[in-house]
Amino acid sequence: MDSLTWMGALAPFFGPAFGGVAATLGLALVVQFVAGLFAPHVRPQTGGDGMLRPRSDIFGRLDRLPGLIFTGLVLLGLAFAAISLVVGPETAGILGGMIQRFLPVWIALIATFGLSIRFKRQLGLYGKLFDSTIGMIGFGLVMFWVYTALFVGLFDLIGTHDPLDQVSGLKNAPPGVPVPEGETGFAHYLLGGDNLARDIFSRMVEGSVMVMMIAPLATLFAFMVGITLGLPAGYYGGKLDTVLSFLANLILAFPVILLFYLLVTPEIIATGLPSYMAMVLFIFPLVFLGVLIHARFRNQAGQSRAILALVLGPLVLLYLAVINQAGTPVDFWPLDFFDIPGGILVVFVAVVFVNSPTVFRIVRGLTLDIKTRDYVAAAQTRGERPWYIMLWEILPNARGPLIVDFCLRIGYTTILLGTLGFFGLGLPPESPDWGSTINEGRKLLLIYAHPALPPALALLSLVLGLNLLADGLREESLRD
Amino acid sequence: MTTWDHDQPILEIDRLSISFFTRLREIPAVMDFSAKVMPGEALGLVGESGCGKSTVALGVMQDLGTNGRIVSGSIKFKGRDLGGMTPDDLRAIRGREIAMIYQEPMASLNPALRIGRQLMEVPMIHEGVSKSEARARALEVVADVKLPDPERILRAYPHQLSGGQQQRIVIAMALMSKPSLLILDEPTTALDVTVEAAVVDLVKDLGKKYGTSMLFISHNLGLVLETCDRICVMYSGEAVERGSIADVFDKMRHPYTQALFRSIPLPGADKNAHPLVAIPGNFPLPHERPPGCNFGPRCDYFEAGRCDSGPVFMTPVPGDERHESRCLRFAEIDWDAPPAAAQRTARVEPGEVILKMNNLKKYYEVAANALFGGGEKRVVKANETLTFDAREGETLAIVGESGCGKSTLAKLLLGLETATEGEIRLGDTSIGATPIQERATQTVADVQMVFQNPFDTLNPSMTVGRQITRTLEVFKIGKDDSERRERMRALLDLVKLPREFAERMPRQLSGGQKQRVGIARAFAGGARIVVADEPVSALDVSVQAAVTDLLMEIQRKEKTTLLFISHDLSIVRYLSDRVMVMYLGHVVELGTTEQVFSPPYHPYTEALLSAVPIADTKVEKQHIVLEGDIPSAMNPPSGCPFQTRCHWKDRAGRSLCESEVPPVRVLADGHQVKCHLSDADLAAMEPVIKIAAE
Repeated sequence: MDSLTWMGALAPFFGPAFGGVAATLGLALVVQFVAGLFAPHVRPQTGGDGMLRPRSDIFGRLDRLPGLIFTGLVLLGLAFAAISLVVGPETAGILGGMIQRFLPVWIALIATFGLSIRFKRQLGLYGKLFDSTIGMIGFGLVMFWVYTALFVGLFDLIGTHDPLDQVSGLKNAPPGVPVPEGETGFAHYLLGGDNLARDIFSRMVEGSVMVMMIAPLATLFAFMVGITLGLPAGYYGGKLDTVLSFLANLILAFPVILLFYLLVTPEIIATGLPSYMAMVLFIFPLVFLGVLIHARFRNQAGQSRAILALVLGPLVLLYLAVINQAGTPVDFWPLDFFDIPGGILVVFVAVVFVNSPTVFRIVRGLTLDIKTRDYVAAAQTRGERPWYIMLWEILPNARGPLIVDFCLRIGYTTILLGTLGFFGLGLPPESPDWGSTINEGRKLLLIYAHPALPPALALLSLVLGLNLLADGLREESLRD
Repeated sequence: MTTWDHDQPILEIDRLSISFFTRLREIPAVMDFSAKVMPGEALGLVGESGCGKSTVALGVMQDLGTNGRIVSGSIKFKGRDLGGMTPDDLRAIRGREIAMIYQEPMASLNPALRIGRQLMEVPMIHEGVSKSEARARALEVVADVKLPDPERILRAYPHQLSGGQQQRIVIAMALMSKPSLLILDEPTTALDVTVEAAVVDLVKDLGKKYGTSMLFISHNLGLVLETCDRICVMYSGEAVERGSIADVFDKMRHPYTQALFRSIPLPGADKNAHPLVAIPGNFPLPHERPPGCNFGPRCDYFEAGRCDSGPVFMTPVPGDERHESRCLRFAEIDWDAPPAAAQRTARVEPGEVILKMNNLKKYYEVAANALFGGGEKRVVKANETLTFDAREGETLAIVGESGCGKSTLAKLLLGLETATEGEIRLGDTSIGATPIQERATQTVADVQMVFQNPFDTLNPSMTVGRQITRTLEVFKIGKDDSERRERMRALLDLVKLPREFAERMPRQLSGGQKQRVGIARAFAGGARIVVADEPVSALDVSVQAAVTDLLMEIQRKEKTTLLFISHDLSIVRYLSDRVMVMYLGHVVELGTTEQVFSPPYHPYTEALLSAVPIADTKVEKQHIVLEGDIPSAMNPPSGCPFQTRCHWKDRAGRSLCESEVPPVRVLADGHQVKCHLSDADLAAMEPVIKIAAE
């Protein structure tokens, strides 16, 4: 069987077409920029419908040209994608093959966008996101990886091979290489093989599962810790604030990488430090929820107790099961019905630990601002307890900046996970996460660039998507 | 370029329409607006918030932002159309020929540059003068705006000056290039009354001295009366009436102007005998304007089929010069008819004493060195020996400017702070030393507060109904949720809001409606004392009257004691039974409303009375302008707190005022004054406000 080329049989038409249109776009942008330097100033005119009327002279036409060409490029891409979905890798090459493999993701994305845009006026801030191009691009990129992780993790779709399977002869094989006769499964290594002859494409999509499992959850935990400590620091001020802020500064000043190295060193693990940290850090969500519910229902004691028991009961069991690890110093709980792999727990603890001080500072700053509002004073004058004021009067009104930061912080966490993987900290060496794969690819980068690039691009696109999403959210939450 | 000579208007706005474009729709902000400003003339632009008056100013500056656009009409400055100018031409005009002064002085000054640099920049950029010449001119202008020690001021940074001084610098900056037109957008709203009076005085003098034309934008009719020659009243994006001050104030020919004057408390208004007449209904949103006359739905003279049929245009009022009205029926209306007899109510006799403050003191300790916490500690005396009582059903007004200690007093009463010394008695219990967490639920429910800023008083992420039911929950009222919800609906009825509002979020409510919710919340637990901290000062004039009346009505019904904190003496005179004037933590005067508003006064009361602008051409005021700013409570003057600004000081004996705090003197039954002036001097005082005989 032959190796696949990038565009397969479609290359004779689409290759020159893509190249030509992209070159024209570049040229048009340069011309527009140069012409803009010489264009005379024209006052914007409004038309009868009140909309801004476009410039009618040659400069106006030049302004619109790049947009048209770009639309053409997008249409060309869509045409290529549509053909690929039908014909598959044998005709449409590596790109076509990948597009076809991602089919469930495309369907999910189109459904999400269609429904969201249809009902965007009823959806609040989430709906407003679909008014901003930047926000939509960001959301699209993020959801692409979310759906990929879902389909890979839950249904084992998309990936072509098992991420740990080695096929002899495909060590460092170039993209599109055919799998030798006699092997079962997909006929090609779409993005080639790595230095242990594993399929790079499958490892890349498998890596997204790792990121999607750890990054949002770790960020959420970091937020719980940051909020639970930041609110009282900002609200009470004084000594409490000084002490907590000092601790936060101390953690922030400590070199992160050194901290990670310390946490994963076997001697340190043997002392139980990561387990103890997990004990402390994982208790915060419980405290947070408990206080939240108690503050709200303080005046109806019976109801309060019922809801508290209902919510906290399972959570406490879960908490004990999570922190209890056989073989570590924290081993006292008989009902330990599952174990988190030690490596992941350490990574999780480390990520939460370094992220929470920053969240703490943001929450503290917002609290300092919001606690001067009259509705806080009104709550005080009717004798509300401080925790009610913090959690129900202040926190909901700080949500805007916090949501934006949450998106950004998932991005940082993703990068952090990549860094951890790159240094081989915490996770097992054969793990398909992006950081580890980049590190493996790095070793032979000068000879074989293709193993390192796909995970790097995947990491880049996810973080870029998160940043754009945060930008879009911030912009839209500021507008009317 | 068109020629322009000096008997033509400086600014001529002709049928201007400005719209803002949002994602959903076009929002017309100004429609069919015409105005003319002659050289040396001051035009006042009056209207409620959202009526488009600031948009007109921004239109003149051609600074409408990205989504605002002039849809039709023209703005001519000295005969040249501003709309047709290139950015370069506009840059040459802005700041040089047209200068603008904004509301918030600190936002107009660059905090990183010294005052001198900022002032000198103006002529250096526009006229290319040398640095030394610019500096000389800056010194001259700073002296002109009556700032002491100009050399020092030029070296200062903006944050080193007080609010009043900053606004003077902004005015100085506007005058640096000797503009022909000065646009003032609510220039004194952020300032205290006595400082406002001084700034307004300054603007008036400078206008005369430099011959500058002025466009004065304000919501305060009294201020416009004091500063302007002509006035233009705007409503919902349109000019509804314009003419000379005398014509519009005394012979108004538009129902909105009339309603506006009836809803502000002028001398003579009284909550029992002559209550204010509120304008019914709400200000229409820009995209929900009615057909025909915009004011139609709220107008007493509305005639269906005529007022709502087609666009209404400005028509000249016969007999008057340049007096126009946008009303179809102004010729038919009997303008001299007294307002439909508003409901008179019997005066509520105050009951027994419910609140007693005895020798109350509140000192704060402030570390001089905040960073390291050490060093000497300074004491801020926020409240000094307050002694007064309040009776059931009585309205006690607490008057004073910022920093006088009225907010501290409120905090002490509510238990957010505890007293340093002295006693507060609510009924039989002493509450001065009990912080709010330790007070009994009933005590907390008994003392409640209505806040100043309607946009801040409700939690933006909770429904209106939930905020009220939460209060009921905390006060342990009602057995279960459904009972509390029923009580919440009753409270909404009490403050005259529709019951559907329970499900609304605060951002869907107007300022007046939010304030009503705030009132409902304060009365939720059957409060016996309600502290109202300037409850209407942030509201529009037409809404103020309605909210004030509501407050009075509930007070009458519930026999609540109202502590009404305000700096607006007009409204204080209208609704209070007794008045307490505070200055730097001291009660300088206390008495019934009649006693405080007529001589003998405390010198500070006298100055306050003179400073409040009154929108009535028949009122003659004694002109008293206080020098300087309110001293800081961190560093109060020795002796009498008011001695640094008092113009009676020489009469009472300088050294005495500077060394000793005056004793409390009882002048008449229940009327006390803290002053060194002799009885003869006090007796010789003349009334500040005189209503000219008709």
